[in-house]
Amino acid sequence: MKSTNTTNPPPPTSQRRVFLMVFGLLVGLTGMSFGVANSWIMDDRIIGWSVMVGISVCKAMLVAAFFMHLWWERAWKYALTIPTLFMGSMLVLLLVPDIGMRTDHYPRSRQLLSPESITVPNAPGDESPTTDSESTTRTES
Amino acid sequence: MVNHKTNLEPDHGSHGHSVPLVYQRALPMSRGKVAIWLFLSTEIMFFTALIGTYIVLRFGAPEGTWPTPSQVGVIEWLGALNTFVLICSSMTIVFAYEAAKSDRIRAARSWLLATMLLAFVFLGIKGVEYTSKYTHGIYPQFPRSLMHDRPDVYYVSNFSAQLKKRIADLESATSPANDHDPATLETLYLIQSGMVNWTEKKVGMSDDPNMKRMALESFAHQIHPLSKRPDIDKYLVDEQSELVEKQQELAPQLRQLESDLVKVQQQLVRLSDEIAQLESDRKSKVDAKGDFPEPGPEELQRKALLESTEQKAKIVTDSISTLKQRLNPINLRLESHSAFNQFEKGINEHFHLKLPMVIPSGNTWANTYFLITGFHALHVVLGIVVFLFLLPLELNRRRAKIMENVGLYWHFVDIVWIFLFPMIYLF
Repeated sequence: MKSTNTTNPPPPTSQRRVFLMVFGLLVGLTGMSFGVANSWIMDDRIIGWSVMVGISVCKAMLVAAFFMHLWWERAWKYALTIPTLFMGSMLVLLLVPDIGMRTDHYPRSRQLLSPESITVPNAPGDESPTTDSESTTRTES
Repeated sequence: MVNHKTNLEPDHGSHGHSVPLVYQRALPMSRGKVAIWLFLSTEIMFFTALIGTYIVLRFGAPEGTWPTPSQVGVIEWLGALNTFVLICSSMTIVFAYEAAKSDRIRAARSWLLATMLLAFVFLGIKGVEYTSKYTHGIYPQFPRSLMHDRPDVYYVSNFSAQLKKRIADLESATSPANDHDPATLETLYLIQSGMVNWTEKKVGMSDDPNMKRMALESFAHQIHPLSKRPDIDKYLVDEQSELVEKQQELAPQLRQLESDLVKVQQQLVRLSDEIAQLESDRKSKVDAKGDFPEPGPEELQRKALLESTEQKAKIVTDSISTLKQRLNPINLRLESHSAFNQFEKGINEHFHLKLPMVIPSGNTWANTYFLITGFHALHVVLGIVVFLFLLPLELNRRRAKIMENVGLYWHFVDIVWIFLFPMIYLF
């Protein structure tokens, strides 16, 4: 997002046109997000998710830059928002080892009670049948 | 706009020797704007933490163990519609601010009113979504929700307990309001006998772990299917044809035994009649001492035959009851097959039963979904409250700054939704 030292916004008529353009872009990007979710791009989920997050970031920047006037205003707000965003993100990153990677090092006893993939066998992402049968045997005992 | 000199600057015109002092304002902004940006900064931390936690939980779940939007009844187009509504409201509040800045009071009020109405539309759609979650049983609950992480015996056991409770409630309900529900009670009986009992028995008696797994998964699938499962469909069809064969094998045996029993019972009646006749004949021949004659060999033979026929009747009755014990579950299972197999969306959905279902990580999903969207909705409500305070005021140039700050808050609410929409509705 560009921040200039300009302190005077453009005249109202041209500004109104900018707002309407931003509105159109926001609606278009929402449609694009919806389209991506229902298209072949989601065949590779990582790419699909990345595209959708990218679209969301664009939309957020459009709202912040134009509707929240950051495009025309001075940049002092970033002194508040960027550190807080950083702190929020750090808090989330703290969760990654214990929560994000929670199933990476589960002991067997915990694996047996964790959510189980219910997909067609041999489909991508299906868990090994051994785990399933073992769990059933275990729950029986 | 930025004026580095203030009125605190000393007047040094008359004393030419003093050093000119220049004071800086704290920030080149109104205090209100600083305050709103400070508030928004705390909001950034709040929502980054909430959304980030959702992301960590969602992407930390192994493939297939986090519900897809369709599995938890999230309707994509409703989310997209709500996104559109919020974008429109962002637009209208910008226009409200612009109108207030140029002293167009009526226009400002109209745009603000439009923003508020759009906020209500947003909440309305949210309400529709929440209601649909509630009617499907997809919400956190104490001591545990209806959503189970995997189809195991704990699931079947909890299902059975809930079902029994539901049946007991319906049976004890004597109020006329519940009288129209016999079909539901019948359905619940059939679920209990044809599905729960059958699955419990199958899982308990089978030694084959794969067979146990299929029994449990097919049970969970019939209650609340998560996706197309050709393997389960095949398993159910195979089971049905196997049971029909078994039924065809056992039913004639039962009929044969029943007809045997009828014959034996007729024989018993005949023998009893004959013995009664012989006894009465004998008792009519009283001797001089007034004693009855001893039973003749014919009567004794009849009595022995009666005894052995009674034993035979008992054996046939026992065989019938054993055969019925084998045949009844098969009949009930077949009945449940023909009653429930055709529901693509599952029994829970078809009969609006809200019985326990298997949705891997469904409870974690519901917790995060309601927490995040609930807090966002609270922010929308707060926005509406602020709009209500502003609407009666004269929204002129003097109040444009308030409008700007409220607008900043509202745009932030929009930005949060911009991130929530794809993550909740499209991922």
